[in-house]
Order: sequence, then C-alpha cells, then structure tokens
Amino acid sequence: MTAVAEAKIKRRVLPSPVTGQEIVLVGVIVVLWAALAVSTPAFLTAGSIQPLLVATAPVALVGVAMTIVIITGGIDVSVGGAIMVCSVLTAKALVGTDGVSLGVAVLLSIAAGGLLGLVNGVLIAYGRVHAIIITFGTANLFMFLGLRIFGSGTVNGIPATLAFFGRGPDGRTLGIPHAFLITLVITAVAWWYLRHTAGGRHFFAIGGDAQAARLAGVRVQRRVLLAYVLTGVLVGLASCFVIAQGTSTLDQSVGSGKELAVIAAVVIGGTSIMGGRGSVLGTLLGALLVQSVASGVTQLGWRSQLSDLFVGIFIIVAVGADLLRARARRSR
Amino acid sequence: MRPRFTAAVVMATTAAIALTGCTKKNDTDTAASGDAGKKTYKVAFVPKLQGVPYFEAMNAGGKEAAAALGNVEWLYQGPTQADAAAQADIVRSYIQQKVDALIVAPNDPDSMAPLLQQAKDAGIHVATADTDAPSSVREVFVNQATAEGIGQGLTDSLLTAMGGKGKYAIVSCGQTAENLNSWIEVQKAYTKEKYPEAEIVDIVYAGEDQAKATQMATDLMNAHPDLTGLVGECTSSAPGVAQAVKDAGKIGKVFTVGLGTPQAMKPYLQDKSSTAAILWDVENLGYLTAWAGAQIAQNKPFAATNNVSSELSAVAYTEANKMLLLGPALAITDKNVDQFNY
Repeated sequence: MTAVAEAKIKRRVLPSPVTGQEIVLVGVIVVLWAALAVSTPAFLTAGSIQPLLVATAPVALVGVAMTIVIITGGIDVSVGGAIMVCSVLTAKALVGTDGVSLGVAVLLSIAAGGLLGLVNGVLIAYGRVHAIIITFGTANLFMFLGLRIFGSGTVNGIPATLAFFGRGPDGRTLGIPHAFLITLVITAVAWWYLRHTAGGRHFFAIGGDAQAARLAGVRVQRRVLLAYVLTGVLVGLASCFVIAQGTSTLDQSVGSGKELAVIAAVVIGGTSIMGGRGSVLGTLLGALLVQSVASGVTQLGWRSQLSDLFVGIFIIVAVGADLLRARARRSR
Repeated sequence: MRPRFTAAVVMATTAAIALTGCTKKNDTDTAASGDAGKKTYKVAFVPKLQGVPYFEAMNAGGKEAAAALGNVEWLYQGPTQADAAAQADIVRSYIQQKVDALIVAPNDPDSMAPLLQQAKDAGIHVATADTDAPSSVREVFVNQATAEGIGQGLTDSLLTAMGGKGKYAIVSCGQTAENLNSWIEVQKAYTKEKYPEAEIVDIVYAGEDQAKATQMATDLMNAHPDLTGLVGECTSSAPGVAQAVKDAGKIGKVFTVGLGTPQAMKPYLQDKSSTAAILWDVENLGYLTAWAGAQIAQNKPFAATNNVSSELSAVAYTEANKMLLLGPALAITDKNVDQFNY
C-alpha cells in the first residue's frame, strides 16, 4: 500500500482533529476576552489572566477524565464528594510540625482518589447498574466519609506546601501557572491517546454500542474500570489544586457542587451526554469559558448570579447543537 | 441535575440525623437518670451549617449553659451545607420530637417563618439566634451584636487602615442572608456619613465557597486597580479576601477586614494581609442562646437587664423588637487572636 493510500484511509477512519464545537468555543472565548479587554481596565493583564487559568485548572483536569467517562456512556456524579475526601485527607496530612512534603501530599491525594475511583469502577463495570445510580450512591458515601474525617471542625493552619499549584508567585514559572500547565499537558496526552491509540478508540466504541464493542473484541469491563480509576486519580491531583487555591483553612463546603461544574464544562465542550462522541480539548475550552464568564461578570461589576444564567444558557445551547448535529448525521 | 443533587444532600442529612440522633439520645438517658423527678427542658438549636468552627463554638457554649443550668437538655443539629431545604427538614424533625424550645439560625428567614408558625402551633416555644427571621412568630431573637455595631466596627477598622479614604469592595456570601445584608446596609450608610472620601465600588456574592471568594476578590482588585480595601463579610470570605491580597503581592497596598473566626484568621492577621477580624464571643452567644431557650421553655419573661452568667452579667433585652443583645462587637487582631481556641 502506498503512503498516499494509507493517509487516505487514516483520514477516513480518524475524526477530524478539531470538532466544530471547539472552533465555536475558541471563537466565543476570543470574542469574550476581546470584549472584556475593551470594557474593563485590567482583564487582559497577567494579574488577571494568571488567576483565571489557576481557577480553571481543577475543573478542567477532572473534566478530562469525566469526558472519557461520558464518552463510554457513563457519568460520575461523585467527583464532588471525592474531592472532599481527598482534600481533607491531604490537608490534615499537611498540617502540623511533621506535615508531609509536596510530593508525598500529591501522591497521597492521588492514591486516595484512585481508590475511590476503583470503588466506582468495580461497581459500575461488574455490577451492571447504570453509572448515575452507582455514583449517586457513592457521592453520598464519599460525603459521609469526608465529613467524618473533618470531625466537627475545619482544618486550620494549612502550610503553604502546595503553593506550587496556587495563585501566588510560587505557583508560576515564566508567568505560566503550574496548575494550568499540568492540566494542559494532561489534556494533550489524553487527546492524543483518545485519537491515536486503539485503547483510546475503544472508549468511543463502548459509548457507541457496548455490545458491538464486546463482540469486536474490546474488553469492555476493563476499559470502563480504567475510566473511573482515571477519574479518581485526576480528582486526587485536582484536590491538591483546590487546597492550593483556598485559604489556610479548609472547611467542609470543599468540593460541594463541583460535579455540576465539571459536567457543565464537558457538555459545553461538545461531548455528547449519550456517549460515543466527545473531546477533551472541548472540555478544557468549556471550563475556560465558564471561568472567564464568572471573572468577567465580577470585573464588569455585574450581579454575581448572572454568571449562573450564562452558564445555563451555554449548556442548553451546547446540548441543542449536539442534538442538531446528531440529527444531521442520521439524515445523511 | 440540581434536584437530584439536592436530594442527595437531603438523603445524606437525614442519614446523619438518624445516626447522631441515636447517640445523642443515649447520652442524655444516662445524664438524666442522675436527677430523676426534676423536669428537663429540651432546648434544640439548628445552626445554618454544622461542622464549621463558628457554630461548633456556639454549640460548646450551649452545652456549657445546659450543664450550668442543670434542667436543660441541649440538642444541636444542622445541615451539612448552608441550604434552606436541608435545614427545614431538621426543623421539622425537631417539631416531631416535640422539643420544648426550638431555636434556629435560619439560612432563609422567609421560608423559615411558616415552619416556626408550625412549631408554635405544635406547642413549641420558638426563637432565633445569630440570624433573625423578623416576620416570624419567634418569641425572642438572640442577637450577637447590633447591625450597627458590626457594620461600624468593620468600616472603622478598614478605613483606619486605608487612611480614612479610598475605594473598597465587599465579598459577601449568601445573597439572602438577612444578617449579612443588614450589616452591608449599615456599612453603606456609615461609610457615606463618616468617610465621605471613601466609596464602596462593588458588592459580590461568593456563597460559602472559599476558592470562589478568593477568585472574586482577585477579580475585584483587577477591575479596580485603585482599590485599597476589601471586606470579607462571612467566615469563608474573610480569609478568602486576605488570601487574594497575599497571592497578588498587595499586602500593605490593599487592606482587608472581615467577619472571621480567630483560628482561621490567625495566619492572615500575623502576615498583615488582614487588619482585623470583627466578631463577638461566639461561645458566650451559644451560652446565651441556651439560656434564652430555657427561659422561654419555662414561660419566664426577660428583664430589661439579665444576669445570665458571670461573663454575661448584664444582657440587655428590648421589648419593642423582642431582642436579647450579647454586647458590643469585638475586634480580633494579631495582638489578641491567641485568646480564642476556635
């Protein structure tokens, strides 16, 4: 086979590198940033964009894994509870004279997250109950666990060990926030993996038709398990970002509602909630758009609740666009 | 998604009530057996949110009062998130348990009012503490400090640091929180009156989310490059605004004050990113709450000045608005922060 023919086949088999939704999102973000740059004094300065990227990181990072989960036709509504467990465990380990180092804290958080993800994964892959039911249950279990670890108080006096991921000067190299850079690299790796490896394509196959995928030789249960464990691992890392962005006190509202923020970013990013289609790049852009709107609303001096309104509109528009695309595909 | 999530919270809370309810009962059974024959009054307090140091300190004060009074069984249960619906469920469960006095710090005063009516109809004495429900049937409101005391304390501390002039912004929390809004009203009026060269440029609402409060404070500093002051209106945004100033490297340029609990504010008071935390003695507030609950449960009237304990020897009561006042607001700085263990 000639190289030209091979390239032709590749083009036919592989989806286009960027989807329509991503181009639209880039357009919307560019227009929004331009509008904010004109209408507010300091939106487009390092002092404003750097914290914005830091605030985007945890949602986008968990969003990468959530995208894979949703591509397989599942969902994970327990990530808020999981963030709570990982954060409080890690925060408690950091406190005190014998507090752990940065590396140990990150490993501990990732291990805890991975374990919680494994619980979800095993129940979903082998329990044959829909993911929303399982993770709905575990969300409550995780919240209970998190509250028990909190005891009846907050975690006070958290040292600046995790400032590497934070908003302050320790959290940046050459002006780029570490938390966002890490998120960007992980998103890029996930993008490549989902697009160019057989293992990555299997996630799409499972979401398209799990039965057909199984008959085609895909180890469905193992893949599904992997998706949830990966979610847990990234939740663990994101929890370190969350601690770094908070104050020296951690209270029990941590993680609350984060599952909705993550799912919103995924949906706005163009991933089909029905599974089978989606992109981690879109999720990153979705998270960036949501945070840009929130910061924009504050910087413009508008009412805080308007950002909820805009996010709501984005979700409905994104889902509507997805349905229209699906209809167009069917009629083709 | 939202209703599902709310349902999740409700489920979790109900489970928590079931669990802690059992242990509480066992506790009091053993305690009550000591002085049999004497009537014990069940005084229940429902905070806005359980597990935060502020309300836990109130709980500690309430327990202390119950031990000192001898004839009071102190019950304490709150939602795990500052959610009006979850709080309403806990209030309903106390109505069913037929407690003698039910005291609430409502998340949403308007939706709490009909529930308090329901409690009164069931023969329960009702009161509010920390946050009032002004349009309800409550018999007394245990007020930590007047809105004037808090609002003026915050404004004076901040404007002293700012040199009496300049632009500042407020990062508040729940948008419907009655007490926060009443303090903000005072801050607006008092700033205008006493500091004509100062201006409040924006008021934003971050909910109870620390990271969000910090991010909003950062956005406010960017939106107003000439901003020299920030107020954190509640216990989650007070450290949040200080953290934002610290992260932006603006300590000494942007000053912050807030309604913060001492231990949470300590690092920020020490590195000067926070000038002062305005608060009151929260344990004493809990003590007064339990005492007031015992009074109304026994149908005892309040005097104009009440001798509650050695630390609360002259608590003023105003008949016109049925309010017990703990006392003047307290400024916590790096000098006195170590006196408080919560």
